[in-house]
Amino acid sequence: MSGASAADVRSILSLPSPSTPAPSQSKKAATPLARKPSGISRELYSLIGPSAPTLVAQVAKPRLKQKPNLGGGGSSKWVWRSFKNSARTDGLELGHWVKANTDPDAEYPFARYNAKSPDYSYSEDEYTKFLEDPEWTKEETDYLFNLIREYDSRFYIVNDRYDFPGGPPRSMEDLKDRYYSVCRKLIRNRTGDEASKPQLLSNFHFDKEREVMRKKYLLSLENRTPKELAEEEALYIELKRIEQNEKHFKQDRDRLLRTLLGAESGLPDLPIDEDGPLGDPKKRRRGIPSELDSPATPSSSLFASAIPRRAQSAKSAAEDALHCIQRTDGIMPAGTTTKTAHQAAYLRSFRVPYPKAAVAARVTQISGELGISLSRLVMPTRDTLMAHESLLETITSLVELKKVADRVDQEIRTAKMRLGMRESEPPAEGPMDVDEDGQAPDTPGEGRAHSVVSTRSGRSRKQTGTTNDRRSMSVSSVDTSATSTTRAGTKRQKLG
Amino acid sequence: MVQYGGDEVSALVLDIGTSTLRAGYAGDDTPKAIIPTSYGFLPVARDGDVAMTEADTEADTAPPRDESKLFIGQHGPSVWRENMQIGNPMSEGLITDFKMIPYMVRHALKNVLNCKAEEHPILVTEPAWNTPANRERMAEIMFEEFQVPAFYIANTGVLNAFAAGKGSALVIDIGHSTASVTPVVDGFVLRKGLVHSALPQLVYAHAKHTLITASHNHPPIQLFSHQLIANKTPVESGAGPRFTLREDRFAKTTPSLASHYENREVEEWIQSVAGVLDQGWNDQAASQRPVRHYEFPTGFNTYFGPERFQVGELFFAHSRELVASNPHLPRTIPALISQALMACDPDMRQVLMGNVVLAGGGSLFAGLGERLNNELVRNFPHVKIHAPGNPAERRYGSWLGGSILASLGTFHQLWISREEWQEHGKPIVAQRCK
Repeated sequence: MSGASAADVRSILSLPSPSTPAPSQSKKAATPLARKPSGISRELYSLIGPSAPTLVAQVAKPRLKQKPNLGGGGSSKWVWRSFKNSARTDGLELGHWVKANTDPDAEYPFARYNAKSPDYSYSEDEYTKFLEDPEWTKEETDYLFNLIREYDSRFYIVNDRYDFPGGPPRSMEDLKDRYYSVCRKLIRNRTGDEASKPQLLSNFHFDKEREVMRKKYLLSLENRTPKELAEEEALYIELKRIEQNEKHFKQDRDRLLRTLLGAESGLPDLPIDEDGPLGDPKKRRRGIPSELDSPATPSSSLFASAIPRRAQSAKSAAEDALHCIQRTDGIMPAGTTTKTAHQAAYLRSFRVPYPKAAVAARVTQISGELGISLSRLVMPTRDTLMAHESLLETITSLVELKKVADRVDQEIRTAKMRLGMRESEPPAEGPMDVDEDGQAPDTPGEGRAHSVVSTRSGRSRKQTGTTNDRRSMSVSSVDTSATSTTRAGTKRQKLG
Repeated sequence: MVQYGGDEVSALVLDIGTSTLRAGYAGDDTPKAIIPTSYGFLPVARDGDVAMTEADTEADTAPPRDESKLFIGQHGPSVWRENMQIGNPMSEGLITDFKMIPYMVRHALKNVLNCKAEEHPILVTEPAWNTPANRERMAEIMFEEFQVPAFYIANTGVLNAFAAGKGSALVIDIGHSTASVTPVVDGFVLRKGLVHSALPQLVYAHAKHTLITASHNHPPIQLFSHQLIANKTPVESGAGPRFTLREDRFAKTTPSLASHYENREVEEWIQSVAGVLDQGWNDQAASQRPVRHYEFPTGFNTYFGPERFQVGELFFAHSRELVASNPHLPRTIPALISQALMACDPDMRQVLMGNVVLAGGGSLFAGLGERLNNELVRNFPHVKIHAPGNPAERRYGSWLGGSILASLGTFHQLWISREEWQEHGKPIVAQRCK
């Protein structure tokens, strides 16, 4: 009757029958019982427990898969019915399939999407009274308004299709300007809802000059040559560098003030960093020339600990020398025998020093020029390792010195350039300012255009802003220091 | 149904291209009837003889033209017939021979779709550079000869954009005879930015030239089609073919049929072998790409290396010698794109470059999509190309867009009805189909 059971399969495959029943079977039997059937209170069920099969069988429904409810009540009837579209002006009848129970006289559901945007028209009288313009004839204005009505104020298309016979060539700004100015005049001079007038007027606001300017900048942005792009990029980098220098300068000055005046300086005791009073001091130190003073001092204490501390017997010392054995003490200082101070045994090759990530590329390059692979130390003996480390440190210091030299060079060059500029031309607006002007016209509805502009110059604009902030901050450091004092103060309060 | 904006009124969509004519029901995803636009015909003098041939279509193809018998559809031009000539009503993407159009449309609707034209509204496509006279003629044919209840003519560029689900797009449509770049904004073509060139024809001509002239790895190749070959024996790659022609047929093959067959062979070779390098032309890169084996109907077979990429390169750049020899070359695709963009408003350019739609059967050239992407990314900051991976969607993009458009509930107010046609006459077409 039923399909082959597990036992049958086993006998077919001549497998030994398992001593315990299959876990899956017992599980399957247990799960329906474990669940509390609905209709019995929890207390009662816990009394009876799963050992009341008769009751459970009565209460629990057979767990069969539910049949999907396909609409219910049988299939609905569909009919091919012709319909009229009220959005049409003629009597065209098209047909479509609809459910038989829908109202045959109902309005065509898509007719309501036939929305017309409100359009402005003017009478002959109004035109002569308010709308005369030496640049535009009445015929051309009519033509423009018809086109705008026809294309639902899509000015891109209106501009594309605009071809008034005998008229001068018109740009999109000309068309927009004429249309909006006519609309504004009509709104202003018509009697109507006075309350909504300013709102309406602002809707039809159009500044032609600004639009033309914006387009011009957009075009110039597009027409930048690769050389100009590169120059812009260089300027941007220069800007960043100046900004960074400013920051370092400020920090150095603060530190100096603190050292000289102590608490009287009004500066907080802790060095204030960008990321809060507990900022990573290592990060702060990076790149400051004054901190590069000790490149040759070995940074790791690995080999300092190698100096034998314990007095050795003469014999063992001789034997050691013979077998090239060097005994090392752990680095633990005398007297401390705590667990934390204990140093486990390790392979020396695990402690091969690596160049700092920031200069790694340069260091590997230089070592490559020397024909040495830093990444792989074939025989990490004590001596090789020591040599390796000293080499690494020398290269690092070389790289960093070179960097400093480059920076100073660059500074000199820019200073010279600035000097030259100051001599050659009187104080003039930089290109940045002009660019910023170009950004300014940001009328609502031009968001798309704005996003176009803000690809690159947006970034430069932002940078200009921050530098200005920086400058003002460094000039009046009292201000910032005051705020930072309060910050530190609150911190202390919290701690205390 | 309503929430998706669709309302199907069993409209038909008809898309006539240079290579094929597509027809089907609006709401479908592929056209049901795809027949070649080329047709065969017999000059009237041979009329009596041909009545006995196996032509299955001509009996149903309505009254044949008085001077010829017509062979339209799958068994039309591809079947060899004595003294049959081949014609094509299209040139440069436009219909130039309207006398043939009713026969072809009738064949597609009646013999393939099996439907009555007078019961279905019909949407016809046109290229963006179609003339007003042409579209009025099309409306006239539909209303007067087919008695359709409603008609609309839509632009292939717009429809390609719709097929990609975009209202604004820069549509690059590479067809059989014409490549065009159409800026579409809000479902309207910007006519000032519309450009097209006969670039695919140059590509075909170059491919044919490559094949029939001797080169370092093959002798001049004879482009006989299967229909003209009696038997052949397999030969080694690169060795001269051994085949016998069907002399009886060969003698009675008209020049137009012969050139049709040759063009088909070239086309097949292009479709299976030719490609485009994805990073500009580079002799080394071209020689590094794997060679492709191809066997012609004559039995001649060989491997094609760099020359298969030279064919596709013509889409993107013309060599200096070529430009020098012919000053009126069709413009390349990058040239077309930059010309189209120059004519558009600067505000619009960014939008268009973010919505580039690649369509047309010619765009299925191997590697063309990647190459186009590489070319555009180099010159524009934000480029996004929509190129359907499904070949049917590319080849029949304009039909698919028409199918979508004609099954929209809101579209049904735009049909030009018979009533309107009778009342207003031809001007209604330009007024309604902007």
